[in-house]
Amino acid sequence: MTNMNEVASKPGFGTSAHGSDVDLGQVPAKMTVRDLNFHYGEFHALKSIAMDVPEKKVTAIIGPSGCGKSTLLRIFNRIYAIYPNLRASGEIVLDGENILDPKYSLNRLRSKVGMVFQKPVPFPMTIFENVAYGIRHHEKLNRTDMEGRVEQALRGAALWDEVKDKLKQSALGLSGGQQQRLCIARGIALKPEVLLLDEPTSALDPIATSRIEQLVEELKSQFTIVIVTHNMQQAARCSDMTAFMYMGELIEFDRTEKIFTKPNKKQTEDYITGRFG
Amino acid sequence: MSASLYTTRRIKNIVAMILSVVATGIGLLFLAWILWETLSQGIAGLKPALFTKITAYREEGGLANAMVGSLILNVIGILIATPIGVMAGTWLAEYSRRSKLGPTIRFLNDILLSAPSIVLGLFVYTIVVLPSKWLTNGDVTFSGIAGGIALALIALPVIVRTTDEMLRLVPGTLREAALSLGVPQWKLTVQILIRAARSGIVTGVLLALARISGETAPLLFTAFGNNFMTFNPIDKMPSLPQVIYEYTKDPSPDINTLAWAGAFVLTMFVLALSLVARFVFSRSKVSHD
Repeated sequence: MTNMNEVASKPGFGTSAHGSDVDLGQVPAKMTVRDLNFHYGEFHALKSIAMDVPEKKVTAIIGPSGCGKSTLLRIFNRIYAIYPNLRASGEIVLDGENILDPKYSLNRLRSKVGMVFQKPVPFPMTIFENVAYGIRHHEKLNRTDMEGRVEQALRGAALWDEVKDKLKQSALGLSGGQQQRLCIARGIALKPEVLLLDEPTSALDPIATSRIEQLVEELKSQFTIVIVTHNMQQAARCSDMTAFMYMGELIEFDRTEKIFTKPNKKQTEDYITGRFG
Repeated sequence: MSASLYTTRRIKNIVAMILSVVATGIGLLFLAWILWETLSQGIAGLKPALFTKITAYREEGGLANAMVGSLILNVIGILIATPIGVMAGTWLAEYSRRSKLGPTIRFLNDILLSAPSIVLGLFVYTIVVLPSKWLTNGDVTFSGIAGGIALALIALPVIVRTTDEMLRLVPGTLREAALSLGVPQWKLTVQILIRAARSGIVTGVLLALARISGETAPLLFTAFGNNFMTFNPIDKMPSLPQVIYEYTKDPSPDINTLAWAGAFVLTMFVLALSLVARFVFSRSKVSHD
């Protein structure tokens, strides 16, 4: 763990624990995590995590069930705070400000950091309203502007062509894959800077999954993306950086290519090659 | 596996099946019997006068005033209980998560749910009927309002409970999804959660209405009863269950028949409410909007 702290204390991004060269070295960090600890009641779920999330890249978090990867993601927009007895300490610096500071407005944080969940959760409203709902809360737009924004978001989520003729229909009538893209549209409609994806394809079939992965590839030109996934091929396919977590610790964080070809830690290698987890 | 093992299992299966069919049959038999008995006994009393004349005419009369009274009492009860019940249930489900008060109130609500209705009637008699003497020059203190309050106390825990349970059935991911858009808790609650649980809550209110429309005991010391037609809620108010109760004790067979007719009307009303509640609830599963 001390190694990881050293990484965090170094300026910029991309030096791995063992000093291997990284060609993402020029990419600035969008979010810097320092000495992050998390408790579920008495249980110490995350142990002094430190990492730099690169801007406009895809960062994947992998690891066996219960390793804390979703927990880490859920701290990035402080969604964990809706449940009692959960505590996070340490620092997550986003654009120079610590988002864990209680004074940091949740409203502002959540307009900057969007999230898409494991299961598609459309609101019980029309397709249009699902996208407009979040926007309306943050901005006052007239009808035409709102329609433009909704269309833009739905196009961004590669859903527009499928739903443009049924915007007034209930979103609950869409297929699972369409619902998940609707949730992505809803998230990007707020024009966030960071997009968190919590196992976004685990409830979807292979075709819907490949569409979402394609979408992630397209979205990274505009957003910093952090994706939690159970699927190692998915991490290998669509991420630039990969973090491997185990038992609440960040074991290794490096370029995806490096993690999957010659990881520095034995634990990482064991997991990648399927020897445990 | 051996054939004898399969045979034993098949026999056990048949026995279990027979037992459950018999049990269901017994339940249905009694339900059908009750419906048949109320229909066959009440059919003689089912004539237009039942709905047009009042109880003051005794044998020559009907139950019109009791039906109107019941309607007014139920409406007062539901109007009081629904807003309080829905708000309390919402608080329990959505806001009490961080406090120890939540489970305590849920427990107390369950006690209220099983409180004997006569006790609630006496309670309202003590806190509403007796102190309201000054309103009516120390004379008549029983009133439709008092009856409605007593019924509200019975409907309230039912509505609190169903609202609480229906909201807790809404998946947590829906809350997280809305909160992750920066939507504040109150907007989430009013615009998304209540909407998602709406049909369940409406069903709860309808079932509470069905429950209170058959209550007699809480009305004895509150609405009291009245042989004349009244629309004034601060007047003594007649009600169908109470008239049925009194008419059943009457020595006259004609009066007994009227009681049966009243019982039939009441049963049909409750049955209709239950069917509407079922319809509302089943429709919600097809679409949330």
